[in-house]
Amino acid sequence: MKDSFLFPIVFMLIMVIIFAGILSVMYRMSEPKIEAYQVETYQKRILSTVAKKIAEAEGSSVDDVMSQYPDTFTKHVRQIDNPQFERSAFRAVVGDSTVAYCFEIGGKGLWGTMQALISTDTEFRTILDFTIVNQMETPGLGARIEEDWFLAQFRDRLFVVNPESNEDVTMKYEFIAETQSPENEAQLRRVTGATITSDSVIKMLRDEINYIYNFVRKNSL
Amino acid sequence: MNKKEIFVNAAFKENSIWRQILGICSALAVTNLMLNSLIMGLGVIFVLALANFTISIIRNWTPRSVRMMVQTLIIASYVIIVDVFLKANMPEISKQLGPYVGLIITNCILMGRAEAFASQNGPLDSMIDGIGAGLGYTIVLLAISFIRELFGFGTIFGLQVLGSWWTNWSIMVMAPSAFFLLAIFIWIINTHYYKAKA
Repeated sequence: MKDSFLFPIVFMLIMVIIFAGILSVMYRMSEPKIEAYQVETYQKRILSTVAKKIAEAEGSSVDDVMSQYPDTFTKHVRQIDNPQFERSAFRAVVGDSTVAYCFEIGGKGLWGTMQALISTDTEFRTILDFTIVNQMETPGLGARIEEDWFLAQFRDRLFVVNPESNEDVTMKYEFIAETQSPENEAQLRRVTGATITSDSVIKMLRDEINYIYNFVRKNSL
Repeated sequence: MNKKEIFVNAAFKENSIWRQILGICSALAVTNLMLNSLIMGLGVIFVLALANFTISIIRNWTPRSVRMMVQTLIIASYVIIVDVFLKANMPEISKQLGPYVGLIITNCILMGRAEAFASQNGPLDSMIDGIGAGLGYTIVLLAISFIRELFGFGTIFGLQVLGSWWTNWSIMVMAPSAFFLLAIFIWIINTHYYKAKA
């Protein structure tokens, strides 16, 4: 029977149905947990990028803002709904005034696309905070762009230095080795063994800030 | 062979990496951090044990012409189960491992043990063989990652071990060091164990 023409086909079909069924059930059971975690992580990340500004305006601390999630998120973060603007954008508000903006940006890494969040001041010139949301870089190498020392290099950094330029409004940066100390404002430390990924981060930031700044120069969010 | 012999054979005497040179792609890729190696090893042990068990249960009904497709289907299913489980319950580790969990499917050890052992032996023996082979793989991963993480970052499992006087060896973080260390590891084992035994 095992050597008949039909048996292998029927057998394979049964196996596929059984295993596809098991996987479907397992995925359905885990899906709400995975989605809830993703939403919470995303919202916390948005909040963390603007927490410093909210805390300053409220006279509280960053820890207070973060520990009171999700209340602080609901109270202070508003999604910007502008069909012309091709990025997800959020406004951090305290009372009636906007204290910061947060944008979801994206770019190409070594192995795939990267997604990140940046928060800017209300003039869109200084990066207040920068965090990676999603990346497909090599674990232990390129994936180290998520480490705090690397991200911290971009915090409170004036990025738009040529606000009148019609081409590139951003500052030119150069990477130095991870073990070196920057000697001037234009130097950033790259991740050892991940030159392409480090360069990709800078390219993503420059491209996206150019897009955001040029958009807000001509339109309102 | 009794159960203990099956285990020792799979884990040490016929170790997949240093004896059969199987599964070295992932051994080279994930060994720059011990935590990545441990999680990868645990994932492989889980998938190997259950895949071997399942393949062995259905071995008498599996037609020869489709056996490799069936084995791949079973292995892939268990890998997806590990992936979904990590995403739902250990999201930080899942994120850290990135694409490597999915790459367990392509680990040659899984197909190797399925063909060489599980398709010819009983379910319990196959499961023990899977655990042994997975453990042997994990030990090698941890041994290599211990040296790479210690010299490359000055840490063990992320904990700082070497002080500020230590200069990290960048080469240890990069892929070539895994080649050198794996080759040295295999050379030492072969020289001091197999050749001495012969």
